[in-house]
Amino acid sequence: MKPTRVLTNPTAETHMRSRRRNTELALLLMAVVVILAAYILASLGRLAEIPANIVPFLIVILGLLLVAHVATRRLAPQADPVLLPLAGLLNGFGYVFIARLDEDLAGLQATWTLLGVGAFIATLLVVPRTRWLEQYRYTLMLVGIGLLVLPLVPIVGQEINGARIWVSLGPINFQPGEFAKIAFAIFFAAYLVEKRELLAMSSRRFLGMAFPEARHLGPILVAWSASLLVMVAEKDLGSSLLFFTLFVVLLWVATERSSYLVMSLIMFAGGSLISYNRFGHVRQRVEVWLEPFGDPLGDGFQVTQAAFALADGGLTGTGLGVGSPNTENIPAVETDFIFAIIGEELGLMGTTAVLVAFMLMIGGGLRIALVAERPFEKLLATGLTTLLGFQAFIIIAGVIRVLPLTGVTLPFVSYGGSSLLANWVLLALLLRISDDTANRRAEAAAAQLAEASPVSA
Amino acid sequence: MNRHIRILGIALMVCFIALFVQLNRIQLVDQEELQDNPNNFRKIERNFSRDRGSIFTSDGTIVATSIEVDHDLERERLYPEGELYAHATGFFSFQFGADGLERQYNDELAGQTTGQRFESFADLFRDTDTTANVTITLDHGVQQMAREALGDRKGSVVALDPRTGDIIAFWSSPSYDPGLLGSVDLDAALAFWTELDGSARGEDPRLPRMYREIFFPGSTFKVVTAGAALQAGVATMSEPVFAEVVEYVAPLTSLPLRNFAGNVCGGDMLESLRRSCNTAFAELAAEIIGPGPMIETAEAFGFNDTPPIDLPAAAASNFPDDFGIQVNETDGDPPVPIVENTPALAQAGIGQNDVKATPLQMALVAAGIANGGIIMEPHLMQEIRDQQGVLVDEFEPAVWRSPLSSANANILRSAMVTAATSGTAVGLQVGGFEVGGKTGTAQVDAARPDETHAWIIGFGGPPGEDPTVAIAVVVEAVPDGVQQTGGAVAAPVAQAVLRAALQASAGS
Repeated sequence: MKPTRVLTNPTAETHMRSRRRNTELALLLMAVVVILAAYILASLGRLAEIPANIVPFLIVILGLLLVAHVATRRLAPQADPVLLPLAGLLNGFGYVFIARLDEDLAGLQATWTLLGVGAFIATLLVVPRTRWLEQYRYTLMLVGIGLLVLPLVPIVGQEINGARIWVSLGPINFQPGEFAKIAFAIFFAAYLVEKRELLAMSSRRFLGMAFPEARHLGPILVAWSASLLVMVAEKDLGSSLLFFTLFVVLLWVATERSSYLVMSLIMFAGGSLISYNRFGHVRQRVEVWLEPFGDPLGDGFQVTQAAFALADGGLTGTGLGVGSPNTENIPAVETDFIFAIIGEELGLMGTTAVLVAFMLMIGGGLRIALVAERPFEKLLATGLTTLLGFQAFIIIAGVIRVLPLTGVTLPFVSYGGSSLLANWVLLALLLRISDDTANRRAEAAAAQLAEASPVSA
Repeated sequence: MNRHIRILGIALMVCFIALFVQLNRIQLVDQEELQDNPNNFRKIERNFSRDRGSIFTSDGTIVATSIEVDHDLERERLYPEGELYAHATGFFSFQFGADGLERQYNDELAGQTTGQRFESFADLFRDTDTTANVTITLDHGVQQMAREALGDRKGSVVALDPRTGDIIAFWSSPSYDPGLLGSVDLDAALAFWTELDGSARGEDPRLPRMYREIFFPGSTFKVVTAGAALQAGVATMSEPVFAEVVEYVAPLTSLPLRNFAGNVCGGDMLESLRRSCNTAFAELAAEIIGPGPMIETAEAFGFNDTPPIDLPAAAASNFPDDFGIQVNETDGDPPVPIVENTPALAQAGIGQNDVKATPLQMALVAAGIANGGIIMEPHLMQEIRDQQGVLVDEFEPAVWRSPLSSANANILRSAMVTAATSGTAVGLQVGGFEVGGKTGTAQVDAARPDETHAWIIGFGGPPGEDPTVAIAVVVEAVPDGVQQTGGAVAAPVAQAVLRAALQASAGS
């Protein structure tokens, strides 16, 4: 009886479905216009000519974003309509700057974007329901750990620029850590949903807070040690901070116990202190942060040059493609420091636009978490959004000296295949949760409607 | 869980607001401070890489120009004449900044003055070449003659048009090739700079001696003393008549002041100027003019002030501005105060003691006398035009000082013509022109009488007309060298340059 009832109101459902997707389409077209304009201006600024490949460029970005759009229309029709256009905008925006900096990298980044959109569609296909992910939690944990330690394996693991986070398989280099973080987000969400009641049980109170039993501290200790290990063995401060934050945030949201937050902060402080005293690469970052002009041509070169680039940008920027050649010489300007050249060429206006884009993505992601009904979906959406938003925060904060520099990529914007692929997968998972929730609501609403108005058959 | 997710959202927003605040600090509040940070080379690099206009002499010789090079810095500054114009143009270097005209007219050359950047509203949307070329008053032929005439000796030559202040020759030796500092070969530029830094004081070829170094002017200063006497009305060319003596002892001292080479010298002021008597001018300054009018006239000629030349960091010439309190007075009519430092005043009257002048200042003294008592502002810039030929700036002749009445200037001018006709400055004569001059032989140190700066100042022009060229030449003392007198050493240099300048100005 019920299924037929659901189908009695198909127009309303398709109407809502198409309205969300139409919004997405309109926003995507706006993003394409912005990216195209930026691409032309960058070429005009740098070479004083309209780019020769303007038509193929337009076809490729329009094609890629439309394919992604059609995929969501088919595979996640009820999903949030804002996230995909924002991701497309940031990805295209980043591409414009990469193309402006290095044409060879631009070709590769275009390929990575293609693969990223492919991974996005594949994720939507492979994960038809979020519940499916929950079943594989321990497999994903093992995959996550495997990916995390892979760079430490001799022969395949590579140390590049002082961080051992690369894996080299034949011609392909990638950073497995980028994928590990998603695996961990899924695992943590599933694990915490299962254990949250246990973990939330308190045995004693102290300073007005309920503290859990000692044996339940195990998971935090494991996460804490794992992130310390990443920092020490792989010298990857950014990922280390990201993993720990991810776990603590999810633990706190799942258990609703502030005591976990306090304990984590204490452990974080302790870990930081130990690292500062024991490890040169950590101390160096902190010293540069505190005293950037202490060694402006040595350790402080990257951040001081970034500050000079941002200062040259001022309010409105020097203009796309016409920044100082010095900026092109900032180490990692295509990857971790891409924010510096955005700030130089587009000024405070441009950097603020990027901040707003990320804030809208965070808002969109957390809204998905809020409306999600199943705890696993709530936690997973929270975790994925935290990964995206916090990663953007720590790298921008590092570039502009709000925090010591921890080298991670700026999601969707920086050059880098692993990062781009991982973030497109992350986006697909968020959309999948959003679509699931909307579907379930629609079903529930239809069921309610059916029961409220018994029709005489 | 929703409450915690909301708190998380707020926390992340706070994080991003912190980023926004810091971005405002870096990009707006601290922007200038960061741009001026000593470790920030962007401003210099931008300036250096930017297109830049050329500098030409009045006859069209290219003195400085920029070319595009295949290098990160994009452009290189060239000085086709090498060392010849170094002390006028200065240099334009990535590492060491700029000096001379390159510094003075930096904004115009680089097209960065507001007028050049926004000639019209449409310029805001057009990428036009806003750079400008500077034409300077120097004459290539006269400048080359100055270098040739001075040769390897250390010294300076300044020649200018007394009617306008246009500088015609501006040479000091030793010089250097500013192209070595304008090169994009930064290592070579640094090596050259370091080598120059190692040179002893007074030997550094980067020093434009003609306007940044001061010397005892010696007897050339006597024209200022004579001018003071005329202006104060205490002497004429024929009255009083000074005794023919070997030495003069000023009041309050027993140390005698001697004539050059122990000669007997004296006569009226015209005769004393012609023969350059130390005894007469020392007495004139100390006992007939007195400290007040001496200081007044010296300062009216420009001493104790920076000449308004369009070059950075010009040196002021020096004349003591205080000779102490009055202790007595002479029995002359009117009586002249005798002050604590009257002996110093006697020395100052012949260009010794604490009197020191740049060659530029002494050229201006000659120019003032030649130009009816009016000193025009000395300058190198003639006009500045942008690449479309539109005038950006043009020099308008302006009066700097009026130390003498025109009558007194003419009296002094004919006295100098006498000195160049039958006196110490005969070496300055240029056939076909009316020439006046005054020599100087200034001891650097009383203990070493043979170490002397050889000076001459003078002017010349078509007979019966106002002089068209004023000149000052100093050939510096050679340590432990033979004595160089103004008449024998400086006069031939000045004569060669004066002739070239007079012929050039007569030809044009």
